[in-house]
Amino acid sequence: MDQHESPSFFIQGPSPFSRLVLFAALSISLMATDSRLHYLNEIRQGFIVLLHPFQLIANIPSNAFRSASEYFISQKTLRNENSFLKEQALYQNSELQKLGALKEENDNLRKLLGTAKSSSQPVKLAEIMYMGRDPFTHRIIINLGSRDGVEAGQAVIDSMGVIGQITRTYPFSSEVTLLTDKDLAIPIQIERNSLRAIAFGHGRDNTIDLPYLPGNVDIRKGDKLVTSGIDGIYPTGLAVAEVVDIQSNPNSPFAHIVCNPIAGIENHRQVLVIGFDKRNVDLENNIESNLKAESTPLKSNSKRNSPPKSHATH
Amino acid sequence: MQRINANRIYLTLIIALVFQILPWSGFGLYIHPDFVLLVLLYWILRAPKLCSIGTAWLSGLVIDLATGSLFGQNALAYALTAFFAVTYQRRLILFTVWQQTAYVFLLLIVNQICLLVLKLFAGGENPGWLYFLPCISGILLWYVVAFSSVGSHGKSKNN
Repeated sequence: MDQHESPSFFIQGPSPFSRLVLFAALSISLMATDSRLHYLNEIRQGFIVLLHPFQLIANIPSNAFRSASEYFISQKTLRNENSFLKEQALYQNSELQKLGALKEENDNLRKLLGTAKSSSQPVKLAEIMYMGRDPFTHRIIINLGSRDGVEAGQAVIDSMGVIGQITRTYPFSSEVTLLTDKDLAIPIQIERNSLRAIAFGHGRDNTIDLPYLPGNVDIRKGDKLVTSGIDGIYPTGLAVAEVVDIQSNPNSPFAHIVCNPIAGIENHRQVLVIGFDKRNVDLENNIESNLKAESTPLKSNSKRNSPPKSHATH
Repeated sequence: MQRINANRIYLTLIIALVFQILPWSGFGLYIHPDFVLLVLLYWILRAPKLCSIGTAWLSGLVIDLATGSLFGQNALAYALTAFFAVTYQRRLILFTVWQQTAYVFLLLIVNQICLLVLKLFAGGENPGWLYFLPCISGILLWYVVAFSSVGSHGKSKNN
């Protein structure tokens, strides 16, 4: 309001247009640096740490609401949930006993065959802090970061199946790209006939595509897609998606296969982050360099009709 | 009449940032307005000497860092929007509330279109018409704020 007292009729300093040109040039060069050269990751990480207290403040209302609604939960619901969980634990314990025996047997058989033991991958429990800012990219932020040993490229699952992959880590949090994001690819296998393929997120309507498969491929509606495990990131046999629609277009050599993710991608608060298999450190380095290079966007890959080698490009 | 000092501007910008990074979810993500841009436009119209294209650009950078989008994307969009606001600032403060609201609505759309073009260049997908919902929620918020501020403005003139 002070400018009403002393209105300046002449613009002081550089004109708005020259300022706009300056700042536009600056931001365009920043965008180029960020997307192609990756010099700015450290700056971003440092800034996210500075922003962390603000983030905590911003999370207070929703956290308070949640804890309040948890406080006022009725005894009946709790009792029902408790009995359900007990029942579930009983079933799962009996399954687990079988699993222990099977694992033993499997290890023995592998020893007899002389192949390497299938190693177990460490798992960490994480909580979803919030959805990504942009509703048109499928990302979530979880509360584990590089301080907890989370690294870019690790897989994230829930109790039902794969949710996605960690694409960016900050000290206190990390960003997970969901399976349904256009930029995420995951190596899968059809449970029924062990056919291997690579699934891509569709982007728009929470579905997953299976491109690059010929029109006469042996896939039926209801087939379950599981992780193939050949990448060393995802353990073998995690549920990924279910085929819901197959269309073969006579004009295209490829079948159009639509799948729905099995994991409750938008329903859970707790997820598991799966650490890297120690044997696959080389592979991990490979993926990281792919993530850094990022010079092959998926569009060019899809034109080439061959599955891309990197599992996550973002 | 109270003078506007720079600290007040920065304080409101920080509050707007906290609003921006509230954990929105579900439909809230689609409709939540761009608080920082609204606060910026407000100050650009009220105090163009203290808050101008440079401030807008810096806030855009902060938003880029906070939201994890491409560095400089929001900065460019904010700078462009601020430029259009600064150019017509003198005329805008003489406008009636409705004219001002309409112009700010146009500015919000300019910002959104600029962001959309940048995202499409960066390999994003076409988001559809829902993408423009923040403009509508933003202008509703603006209308509330402008009403109150014009009221105080009239009072200060009488004084």
